[in-house]
Amino acid sequence: MTATMHEFRHSAFVAIEDIQLQSAIEGATHKFGSGRTAALAEVPDVEPMRDHFKKIRSATLSQLATHLETFEKNATAAGTQVHWAATGDDACRIVLDIAQRHGVKLVTKSKSMATEEIHLNQVLSQAGIEPVETDLGEWIIQLAGDPPSHIIAPAIHKTRHQIAEMFTKETGQQVSADDIPGLTELARQTLRQKFLASGMGISGGNIMVAETGSLVLVMNEGNGRLVTSTPPVHVAVVGLEKLAPTWDDAAVWLSLLARSSTGQALTIYTNIITGPARADDADGPQEVHIVILDNGRSKLIGTKYEEVLQCIRCGACLNACPVYREAGGHAYGNPYSGPIGAVIAPLLFGLDKYSGLPHASSLCGACKDVCPARIDLPRMLLELRADEVEQRVLPWWESMTERAAAFGIANPSLFKYGTALVRQLQKPIAKQGSLNLPSKLNPGQARKSPALAKRSFHDIWQSGELDNANGGEQ
Amino acid sequence: MSARDQILSQLKRNEQPAEHPGPWRSRRNFADLAERFTDTLNAGKGEVFRAASYEEALDQIDTILHELQAKRVVVNDTAPLEGMDVKERWPDFEWFTAGKSEGDIKSFCADADVGLSGADAALAETGSVIISSGPGKSRLATLLPPVHLAIVPTSILTSDILTWTAARQGKPGANMVLVSGPSKTADIEQVLAIGVHGPKRFIVVLYDD
Amino acid sequence: MNLSKRVALLVTCTVDQMMPEVGVSTVKVLRRAGYEVDFPMEQTCCGQPFFNSGFRDEARHMAKRTIAAFAKYDAVVLPSGSCTTMIRQEYIHLFEDDPEWQEHARRLAAKTFELSEFLIHQAQWEPTQSAQARTVTYHDSCHMNRMLGVKQEPRQCLEATGCTIDEMEDSERCCGFGGLFCIRMPEVSNAMTNAKLDQAQETQAPTLVTSDPGCLMQMRGLVDGKPFKVEHLATVLEEMTR
Repeated sequence: MTATMHEFRHSAFVAIEDIQLQSAIEGATHKFGSGRTAALAEVPDVEPMRDHFKKIRSATLSQLATHLETFEKNATAAGTQVHWAATGDDACRIVLDIAQRHGVKLVTKSKSMATEEIHLNQVLSQAGIEPVETDLGEWIIQLAGDPPSHIIAPAIHKTRHQIAEMFTKETGQQVSADDIPGLTELARQTLRQKFLASGMGISGGNIMVAETGSLVLVMNEGNGRLVTSTPPVHVAVVGLEKLAPTWDDAAVWLSLLARSSTGQALTIYTNIITGPARADDADGPQEVHIVILDNGRSKLIGTKYEEVLQCIRCGACLNACPVYREAGGHAYGNPYSGPIGAVIAPLLFGLDKYSGLPHASSLCGACKDVCPARIDLPRMLLELRADEVEQRVLPWWESMTERAAAFGIANPSLFKYGTALVRQLQKPIAKQGSLNLPSKLNPGQARKSPALAKRSFHDIWQSGELDNANGGEQ
Repeated sequence: MSARDQILSQLKRNEQPAEHPGPWRSRRNFADLAERFTDTLNAGKGEVFRAASYEEALDQIDTILHELQAKRVVVNDTAPLEGMDVKERWPDFEWFTAGKSEGDIKSFCADADVGLSGADAALAETGSVIISSGPGKSRLATLLPPVHLAIVPTSILTSDILTWTAARQGKPGANMVLVSGPSKTADIEQVLAIGVHGPKRFIVVLYDD
Repeated sequence: MNLSKRVALLVTCTVDQMMPEVGVSTVKVLRRAGYEVDFPMEQTCCGQPFFNSGFRDEARHMAKRTIAAFAKYDAVVLPSGSCTTMIRQEYIHLFEDDPEWQEHARRLAAKTFELSEFLIHQAQWEPTQSAQARTVTYHDSCHMNRMLGVKQEPRQCLEATGCTIDEMEDSERCCGFGGLFCIRMPEVSNAMTNAKLDQAQETQAPTLVTSDPGCLMQMRGLVDGKPFKVEHLATVLEEMTR
């Protein structure tokens, strides 16, 4: 998938025309956004706490190799098998190897953006292993064959009617679209059998805690506990930046994560995994594997984009973003949508493929306001735009136009005569301050294109009519 | 070069000296931890029953199990129930004690009506009960049955996750879970639905000890 | 700050070319506040459109021109929160590798003000309250609100002249302009503007006020058919202090 300027526009247009989708996105983002505000307001000293969290994330990334080594040492001591994957393909191969070694045919998965990123399900399916997504939203989009449209609410683009239809098709059972508890119960029963039958569970990871070699998973449904407790083997795929050196750091992280994300103080379950079941444990998996995923992340350390690795995937920036709220998640052409997606997709997957994303922003700054780590996403979008110019990703004619315009505008005389020329040229089509253009030729489409005023302020000033102390008025 | 070395050397090339910030201390100061715990968990669709003593808590469990019309109950053999003869105390139910009873715990849990557990700690701020794995402590017992019933003494309450991690000692077990309510989802049109994968009811008997 | 009672107007290219009447109002308001206003004729554009599109060299070139044009003044006032942000914050970034020009940029930044913050903090403006009652709603433009942190000042100015502010929900929500964004992504941009205008309409205020010519142009482009007008802050302040 890609998201050039044209592709983003096209996909966003489809979303904007879909009234039902618009109201679903507006409803969800508004609910999450106001939930976030209320949840944070309840915490004493929350703003200094966010500043503190930023320092934690920043200091951690400065010494990431050291912390990852500590994590590896402590996780290994607890019996976890730690793997390193330089690319998404490598990570898929590692997971597939583990599955094949255990003769696994059915895999249950809990929600994981990292495995979406590396297209793990495709790789498993092609090898004859059935991956079943168990987060309700993820299962819905898996049945639909759709990518996620929101980092934490992947199926907001699906209506209850579409969902009921898919569930009936999948399970053979009739269920009313208006019976959401019934739909949920049907998913529970169907997926429960999958949990009990699966030979391997795959999860992502919210935090790797170096101090004890622990993996933290947060969720509301409980599927992330089932995936990591029921099957004999658990494999987690985790981006290398999701690291907290200490439990003190992890506690601040957890204090902000759910509040920023769903407006909860904590999610229903915070699951902490430190190795496989011990010999005398009542139950639990025999093997735990953690695949530490690079896939383009390590090369950002030490660059102007390092800060983006402070992201904890809470989704707050999506809910705050006026562009996301109109365009929806699919326009971003990759699993990461919204402002964070607009920055990391070009960085991880290629600026040429995702050339539209740095422009899918009005630079309003709402994302930075709500980010628990205060990541300066607008700044990075500006940097990506500058990279596009430098790396000639922008079409040549656009660069030419911009440069010519800049040359003219920078020079006071050219500016004066150039704008005067436009004033003459626009005369036949300028009416009451706007240009009378056919909408196809109007770059703003339905929006009126402003015409140049009959006289510029320069002209007015030079005419002397403002010379009177009261500005020309008597 | 292995992927590990490749990644670590790439990161090390750009390592910067950095002073890691110290712990962030909790600013919470709840007058009554039990009250806050109760209010928060009740607001989050959990159900809290208060008891004045351990004995009263055991009686309440009896009442709750009967009201639930439970038949099969799986119990974790841990404090405060550790070593207790549950069959004798609550004879009306079929019991499976983790770590003690014969048979496959997974299949018992899959058909059990209630999972009964103790707790290692509890957080007042978020109404969370913390349960770790270990001998006699089943994870599936608190996960597969439709009802999770936990018996929690007020003495293990702490203010919040910050105070809990600050007091943390020793190496953690294989699994530890913070439970803050019944299983929930809002994935269908943002409508809240309870009990998607985990327990549909989360009941805590909180007693003074 | 000890200001001589003279300010330079940086009118901004948008006001200059598209809505010079906003510049005229700005001059009148500043004069009524007791300032002599000068207008350096060499000014063109602060460079923000080029900076925002990634054309850093071109933006630097314009920044140098702007810095030179305003070097001799003690205070510079703009009827635009966004262009003020460009000069106050981005110029300094633009010259990160050029200490000499960065110093010039800092000097300009220190004496550059958006109109309402100038009136409130520098001029300690106390206009005589207008006899006319006027209800307005106010749109917070993004850069002015989030980057400059100027949110109360325009409201204070409006209220000082006798306006009543009927706050709309989500006054901080972007109007959809975003510079070239509104041309590159017109569908999304227009949808954002419509959402904004709908929220403004709910207040039933007959005037929607903004402090940025970009937002003004954007919202005016789609306001036809709505029962309210979109005006620049300077226009309303001028009308209220006649």
